[in-house]
Parts: sequence; C-alpha cells; structure tokens
Amino acid sequence: MSYQLKWSVLWSGQSGHWLLQGLLTTLQISALAWVLAVALGILSGALRTVPFKPLRAAAVFYVEFFRNVPLLVWMFFWYFGVPPLLPRPVQDWLFDHSAEFWAGMFALGVYHGARMSEVIRSGIQSIPRTQFEASVAMGLSVWQSYRLVILPVALRLIVPPLTNDSLNLLKNSSVALTISVAELTFQTRQIETYTARAFEALTAGTLIYLVLCVGIAGVMSVVERRYAIPGLIARVGGPGGHARP
Amino acid sequence: MKRVLVVLLAFLLLATPLSSASAQSQTLDKIKEAGVLTIGTRTGSPPFAYINKNNEWVGFTIDLVEQLVIPAIAKEVGKPIKLTKKESTPPTRIPLLNSNSVDLIAGTMTDTPERRQSVEFSLTFFLTGAQFLVKKGSPIHGINDIAGKRIAAQQGSTNAKIIREKVPTAQLREFPDQPAAFQALVQGQVDAYTNDGIQLYGLKGKAPNPGDWEVVGDFFSEEPYGMAMRKGDAKFKQTVDAGLKQGFESGKYFEIYDKWFGPKGELPYPLSPQVKAYLLKQIGK
Repeated sequence: MSYQLKWSVLWSGQSGHWLLQGLLTTLQISALAWVLAVALGILSGALRTVPFKPLRAAAVFYVEFFRNVPLLVWMFFWYFGVPPLLPRPVQDWLFDHSAEFWAGMFALGVYHGARMSEVIRSGIQSIPRTQFEASVAMGLSVWQSYRLVILPVALRLIVPPLTNDSLNLLKNSSVALTISVAELTFQTRQIETYTARAFEALTAGTLIYLVLCVGIAGVMSVVERRYAIPGLIARVGGPGGHARP
Repeated sequence: MKRVLVVLLAFLLLATPLSSASAQSQTLDKIKEAGVLTIGTRTGSPPFAYINKNNEWVGFTIDLVEQLVIPAIAKEVGKPIKLTKKESTPPTRIPLLNSNSVDLIAGTMTDTPERRQSVEFSLTFFLTGAQFLVKKGSPIHGINDIAGKRIAAQQGSTNAKIIREKVPTAQLREFPDQPAAFQALVQGQVDAYTNDGIQLYGLKGKAPNPGDWEVVGDFFSEEPYGMAMRKGDAKFKQTVDAGLKQGFESGKYFEIYDKWFGPKGELPYPLSPQVKAYLLKQIGK
C-alpha cells in the first residue's frame, strides 16, 4: 500500500523539457516583474519622504492600496479586469500574444513594488535627516540630493530586506498559474497529470525553487559586500567577516 | 556489518506479518475501526458533487457512494458506516489517497492507464467524452476547427493532454478551475473551452444566459469515470465494485441516474443506449 517513488518520470518523456520551460517562464516573469517592482518601489519609497504633501499622499495611496489586496485578486484584475477597457482589436492582439504573461507580470510587479516601497522608505528614513539638510546646504536641489546622496546610501542599506522581498516575488510568481501562465509550478502539475506521480513532480519543483532562491540570496550577499561603503555600516564579525545571509 | 544484517532481518520479520495482513485489506480495517468512510470529492462539479443552494454537499457520485458503496462496505465489515467528505481537486486527489487522508476518490476522475499505475479504479460509473463549449455562432464545431485558436482547458485534465497531442497548433490556456476558464471564454480571452461534455452542459446550465452558449463537437476522447482507491488492496476494490455491481443489477443505479440526469433532474442528460450497454458490459450483461 506504500507509495513507490519512481524518479525516472522526471527525465523520461517530456518532463525534463517541461521543467526547463517552466523554469524559463518563471525566471522571465520574475525578472521583468522585479525590475518593475524595484523601479516603482524606489519611486514611491522616495516620494513618501519628500517634503511635498501631495506627492507623499499619492505614494501612500499606492502602497496601501496595492499591498493590502491579495495578489490573487491582482492577477485576476490584470487578466480579466483590464483587457475589456481596451478596444476590441487590441484585446484580440493581446490575447494572441500571451496576455496572461503580461497580466501576471504587472500583477507581480505592481504588488511587490508596493512592498519594496516600504523597504526603501525605511532605508531612507534610517539616514540621519542632517545628511539631507547638509546636501541642500551645499546647494543641491531636492532631486539632486536624493539622486546623489540619499538614494545611493539607502539602496546599500536595504539589500538584505530587499533580498527577502525578491525571493518572495520569485515564489509568488507561482500564483500566475491561476491565469494560465505555464510557469514552474504549472509544469510540475503538468507532469503530475501525465504521469500521476505527484510526489516526484512536486519534489522536483521544490528543489528548483530552493536552488533558485539560495542562488539569488548568494548573489545579493556578494552585491552587498562589494558595494558596501567602508565605515558606513557596522558589521557583526568585523570588517571582511561574514556577510549577513 | 553484522548489526546491519540483524536490523534488516528484524525489519523483514516485522514487515512480513504486515504484508500478509494487507491481503485482509488495511482500508477495510481502517474503516471498520473508525466507523467512517472518508471520500475525496468535488465542491464545484455539478451534478456529480457540489454544494447546492441550501449549502448541502450533494451530487450523483455522492449518492452512488451513499446508496451503493456504503451498504456494501457495511455488509463486509459488519457494522454501520458513516460518510465523511473532503475536498479533492485533480492535482491533490492522488496524494490525498496515497497519504491515507481519504479512502476513496469519488468525483469526476477519469480512469486512464497512467493513473492505473498509481491507483486502483472501480467499475466505470459514468461515461462521457471531451467536447467544446463555445459562444453561439462560433466557427468552432469540433476538434478539426481549433488549429491556431485559443482553447481553454482545465489544468490536470486529460482533455488538455489530448489537444496537445492531436492539435499542437492550438494555443492551449490551462486554468485551475472551471469558473476562471469560463470567465476567459465569456471575455474572449479564449475561443472555446474544452472539458468533458457532461461538465460543459453543467456549466452552460448554470450560466446567466444558457442560450448564449453551445456545446459542440463529437467526443474526441472517451472519459470513463471511476472511483479511485489505493493500489494493492484487492479486497476493498472488490467491495466497492460489488456495491456498484449490485446497483447496476438491481436498477438502483439507474434510479439515481434518473434523479440527477433524468428529464426532471438537476441536469437532463439522457443515458444513451451505447453508454448503457458500455456500463452493463462491465458486469457481463
């Protein structure tokens, strides 16, 4: 009565090809969504700290609205809610050109942008206010102080929490299967359908996610060390010691 | 090395009585002890298994279990048995079964050779085939018209697999559940939705304007529905089959069929002579 594991289902037939395709789709959708999320995050995170109330209010609205609605709802919103607003020929063109992929990408990017915004805001706010005042006193405009002084320091400070959210983004890309994006989780289910072997397929999917996440965390910790400003961040373990995971 | 051998031997000795016990049927023992049969079934597949307007979990398959299978099990174990239902979906049902969370999958599961390698199937209790649901007046009339078209299917279903093999040029979009696939059809994300014919009739019947939709095409696959059990428990399978067989012989099955699919049923779907012959052939008639 016990379950007999049969790992060969993962490389026999089309399974290997599917896993690879799923992996590529997951990487594509996550990479594009990440770029969008970081851009939106920096923009709205910075806007939340600027000395102009209307801009702050707009950024607060974006963050609170997008991070407090479940991701699944955003998936459906971008896939089912947005296309009907477009003219019919545009809709047809989109539906023939992976509308689900772009809908999923926007859902992921905009949702995680709101979350990253908070990370970036906390980074900015951890910089003493006097830095900003000093740069303005030096004759820089607000835009210049953010671009040249505040953001370069803030972005270095937030690498660890940003890594955290980037990993979440990668794993959350699996929600896109609800709107028929054939990403990694989708393909593991596909293998289950064809072979009726759920444990093997899910194990393969889990391992791939794990390897991806550990890989990304590794890259981010290299980034953190390489771009650290000497003397700015006190590290446990002393200079050149262990980077934080 | 010696110690390893001893441990191995001990395990073998332990395992031997267990495996001879399984000829007795571990599942039946478990059911007898608990007094409960746990089935994995669906909540959104009318009329096979669904939550109705009164918030009751009912359906054709559930009736078959309650009126045919449970009496057979009760007779076998010699005490009354209660029924517990759990939600199971195509991706979760085989793991639920193999992890002993449920004893029987009774929903809308198609009996396929691949699945037979992982689970045991009962006699077929329903026969349908894959068709397409389209907007009235659609140029799609069957599987020969779908090349290049966007076709929705349910993830984990056999229909998607067949389309991928027979018409690789069709753009397949697979959704985890019926409502999302139907929504995509309504909005034009896809040109047709394929699933087992009976499920499409069910979906059409529930739609706000049933007249706007059409079920088209000949069956492009044969989908015999069976109840699934863990492998290697012949006694339990015999018991379940005996219940179904008794139903076919006494005509009780056809009464239940009529309740759900008859002219006054939840979803009128007359039993065609071919399907009836197919079902009865299983019990040698």
